[in-house]
Amino acid sequence: MKINTTPLRIPLAIVLLALAYFTAPDAWIPHQWRVATYNWLGAASYRDAPTSKDYSLPDAEEICPPDALGWRDEQIIEGVLIEPAAGCVPDNPYLIAAVTRGTNQVSQATLLKSGLMPDTVMMGEDLDGDGDPDEITIKLEVVELNGQSPDVPVPVTTFAIAPGIEPGMWVFAPKSFGMSTENFETRKANSLLRPPAPVIRVEQGDRVTVVLENSHYLPHTIHFHGVDHPFSADHGMPHYEGANHEQHAMGTDGVAETSEMPAMPGTTLTYQFSPRVAGTMFYHCHVQANVHILMGMQGMFVIEENRPDNWPQTLNIGAGQVRHSSVAVREQYQREYDLHYFDLFKNLSETIQTHNDPRLTLIDQHRRWNITRDSANYFLLNGKSFPYTLQESLIVVKPNEKVKLRTLNGGSHSIALHSHGFRPTVTHLDGIPLGPGSEFIRDVIDLAPAQRVDMVLQTTNDGLHNYGEGVWLFHDHHETAQTTDGIYPGGSVSNIVFDSYVDSGGFPKVQGTDWKKFFTAEFYRKDVPIWLDYDPTGLFADPRAPLRPLLQLAVFGAASTGFLVILFMLLFRRGRGT
Amino acid sequence: MKPVTLGVCFSILLLSMSFGVQGEQTQNPSKAQAAPAPIAQDHSTMDHSSMDHSSMDHSSMDHSSMENGSTAGVENMEGMDHSAMGHGGMDHSGHSMTFDARGMVMNSNADQLPKDCAAISRDYSFTVRAGTRYAEAFPGNVFGMSQHLFAVEPCSRINITFINEDAIRHQFMVHGLPRYLYPQGMFHLEAMGGATLSGTLIMPSDDKTYLVHCDIAQHMEKGMKGQIKVGRGSGDLTSIPGVSALFRSDNYYNSQSQILAIAGGMVLTLIGLLVWRRYRR
Repeated sequence: MKINTTPLRIPLAIVLLALAYFTAPDAWIPHQWRVATYNWLGAASYRDAPTSKDYSLPDAEEICPPDALGWRDEQIIEGVLIEPAAGCVPDNPYLIAAVTRGTNQVSQATLLKSGLMPDTVMMGEDLDGDGDPDEITIKLEVVELNGQSPDVPVPVTTFAIAPGIEPGMWVFAPKSFGMSTENFETRKANSLLRPPAPVIRVEQGDRVTVVLENSHYLPHTIHFHGVDHPFSADHGMPHYEGANHEQHAMGTDGVAETSEMPAMPGTTLTYQFSPRVAGTMFYHCHVQANVHILMGMQGMFVIEENRPDNWPQTLNIGAGQVRHSSVAVREQYQREYDLHYFDLFKNLSETIQTHNDPRLTLIDQHRRWNITRDSANYFLLNGKSFPYTLQESLIVVKPNEKVKLRTLNGGSHSIALHSHGFRPTVTHLDGIPLGPGSEFIRDVIDLAPAQRVDMVLQTTNDGLHNYGEGVWLFHDHHETAQTTDGIYPGGSVSNIVFDSYVDSGGFPKVQGTDWKKFFTAEFYRKDVPIWLDYDPTGLFADPRAPLRPLLQLAVFGAASTGFLVILFMLLFRRGRGT
Repeated sequence: MKPVTLGVCFSILLLSMSFGVQGEQTQNPSKAQAAPAPIAQDHSTMDHSSMDHSSMDHSSMDHSSMENGSTAGVENMEGMDHSAMGHGGMDHSGHSMTFDARGMVMNSNADQLPKDCAAISRDYSFTVRAGTRYAEAFPGNVFGMSQHLFAVEPCSRINITFINEDAIRHQFMVHGLPRYLYPQGMFHLEAMGGATLSGTLIMPSDDKTYLVHCDIAQHMEKGMKGQIKVGRGSGDLTSIPGVSALFRSDNYYNSQSQILAIAGGMVLTLIGLLVWRRYRR
């Protein structure tokens, strides 16, 4: 038996249209229509907005890991006085001793604890007879961090710049021994393999040899930016080891297109020079510079003034505090910090996390990724972003001191360094002293890409140089650089802290918001409401997503479809149903 | 009737494809574990398989299963974790070691028998050359070893001569050995550029496959991975050049080509169905 539905069509269409109208999202109905409806039917009854989600903070990492080995303490190793560490994550003091005395000079026990090879930093003759070696050979390798594995779906040889953030990077690292990871059970890189490349410190006039042992799967060079070096080494150097010798020309400028053939995987390049001018300089790979520099192949190069019995700390791993400063620095300053800023592009970093075959990586890096259509996402100070910057790049000062800051901008954008509580005095630009009368005091200091600015923090509370003790922010005032891929606080933010505001573990005594959330991967994965701890009642938490609006949308969908079907039947199939 | 049939066919096709893909991925570890072990349904054999260090290198997932697979519970995980070979303040007392301008030999063992071996069954001598030129035979790799598979008898003594033909460091590192003989379960040769080193190790008696690799960042990933198979071994490890496929293979095509290939498969299936229907009538 068939029911004749034809007469019902028009009333049904009207009902469906009304249902669609009342279930449609408010924003889809013209305002005037809604006002008219309100005037006709009155206000809709009250309904609670969704309640806040209960959110319990995931387990936070340790804000200040305990210093079980006593590495933060002042100590003397191999006759090298190592100043106490300012931050809570200290450099390895055995390594400091080994690179200051020379890995070919220290005991095997010290060397084993340093993780370095016997030829990593070799000290030779004292050429000027002033009590310190003037022939220095430094061996650097190239290491990939957070790279792809054909076996596991996560990056390997990892280095987190912030909790849970592991962008693909390449770095120069001192020649070392053993596993690339902390042990066989972890993916975490050992402490020598990290950005930025180590700060290299030599004395003015030293005969410096830097050997690039290319342990990476792509070609690389080193360009010593601002370091006095010859274009061609016609005085016996450089020599090239490994395959393809004859292909190499004799340049030492590091530029693949104008100077020398890069070191292919498994081969080495040797650079030799004798810098005549002191100052804070820069070194970086100059193969496909737009990619290789921004993958992290860059470090600070410091040439210290020549002094008798002067033993600069040849390598400063991960930059930061210099725990054994040169004689010239100690003459004028109580403390010294190396601050190396640079940035990373997420899309570029991901090119080494997508393929195992290097040929595919190369297509992505040079022919698909386009630097002119991208901007940086990660902003690093000494290889890390906030909050990790506070663990190891904290600038700790005492009242009435002069503290030397060497800053380098290795990134793709300019930096507007701003200090709360201080107005630093700029003493050197690009390593060159400004001289008396030309030094200047600012609270925003510009660093163009590749620029070095040496500055002095005068911790005298005079309202000009300093406004008193405290925990003072020190950051790039480009707001992008205060984020980690858009999450604030992040980026290269750090602090200048008076020691009265540092706790016994080495962390600043901060006031205000709870810091635990900053030490969770969830926060930087954008999973945590940013003001979670401001109000325990959940005022600023995420709202629950109620089911009702979705059901309402489903009803809207059904009603409007039904209406359209009937409309279609009425318009085009009139009479067929009878 | 017709569209319904087609729909069913599509979904069967899609389902079978997705299963096919899944099957391939899940198969691999179990294959690695059990492939050449015909009598391996015996649970004890399975437990002692070398799964601990095979397809999971460097991941910190699955510690539990790794622990189960460890050959001798002499040292616990914690003890081992922190005595890693490295850097800074670590304890090296457990190691026998030489360390000089040629490099490092660690935990070489020419005379200590594993507990489960009454005598040395046989002596082997392998000369392994390392260098970029040995990767040339394996496209997509950059670093290489002249030999990736070392098949030996249980309780045999292996002498490795490791010749590094590159100008940079390379390593020959074996993992998963009994910890009471080899601290951290590890045997390690690390040769400076151009150097030759040799060392000896004695393998235990059980059928097990041991990971050999160079642990310098990306050297294993780019070709320096091998395995020592004792007896029948406990399956092949993944991603070993010339031995086993990459566990996570690379994609050499863009998405358009891939969609085209899938669409091609679907169209062929449809044509097949139509032809079949025609002839069935």
